[in-house]
Amino acid sequence: MRALVIDDSRAMRRIVTSILTDLGYEVRDAGHGGEALEVLNEGWLPDLATIDWNMPVMDGLQFVSAVRSNPAWRRMTMMMVTSESEHTQIVRALAAGAHEYMIKPFTADAFRDKLALLGLLPQEVAL
Amino acid sequence: MTSTDTGQRRRLSDSRPVITDLMDEATILSVAEEAWISLVGEEEVLVPLPGDLPGDVLSSWVDVVGPWTGSVVLTTGRATAEALSRALLREAAPEVLELEDIEDAFGEIANVVGGSVKAALPGPSALSLPQVGHAPLVRNPGDVCRVDVLWRGEPLTISVQGALPPLPVSH
Repeated sequence: MRALVIDDSRAMRRIVTSILTDLGYEVRDAGHGGEALEVLNEGWLPDLATIDWNMPVMDGLQFVSAVRSNPAWRRMTMMMVTSESEHTQIVRALAAGAHEYMIKPFTADAFRDKLALLGLLPQEVAL
Repeated sequence: MTSTDTGQRRRLSDSRPVITDLMDEATILSVAEEAWISLVGEEEVLVPLPGDLPGDVLSSWVDVVGPWTGSVVLTTGRATAEALSRALLREAAPEVLELEDIEDAFGEIANVVGGSVKAALPGPSALSLPQVGHAPLVRNPGDVCRVDVLWRGEPLTISVQGALPPLPVSH
């Protein structure tokens, strides 16, 4: 399975990448929504995108909207991973097309539980 | 058409909250502890004790703009900020941490703590991207809620401080 980790913090990208790699994912990352769209436009389509909200250039919500406007990218699951925890923000993200919402801070176990809920744990890990 | 100053705006601004109306030190400590456990490590403990910050400090902060406007500022010694960054990155830490790595990791901790502080505040607010450097000045000493802690024996402060100067006292 493939994942695209989108966060302007290199530290957070490393942490999320480390969790996903341990689960068997092939991971690429991007520092903002614009970079992430470049990855998708290359034809590298992930099963999962983890998306920070507040990023320079193109924020997470703009990225979600851009993905939703392209039918070719529909099968990608989008999970916001952000410190934005207000109810209205969560509703906005889900209304824009995000599938799931994970609030920072989180533990590796909580992250894994979210993936299990989404049916995105690689089979050998889920067993 | 002319408008009359009814004093309404002034009265509304007079009710501007200060941070101590909205949260206390225990809330800030709890938010920080949760962030530490998740980001820095499950065994990592923040001890709520004051310590003397060294001369060479680094701050990271995010701004919150909403019914209450201000900054959530973490300040610690530069060496402690480096150790924090290493702990955050764990095995993903490069052998040599560049200043950029430290600023990035320390900034992300402020981002997470700031996000949780914002969630505890009333009303919708916006959160800025994290910044790292010299802490913003305290504009109003009455609009500060500060927690002093020790992490691995090293001092660190978490200051939630208003960005606006005190209102003039009405007579």
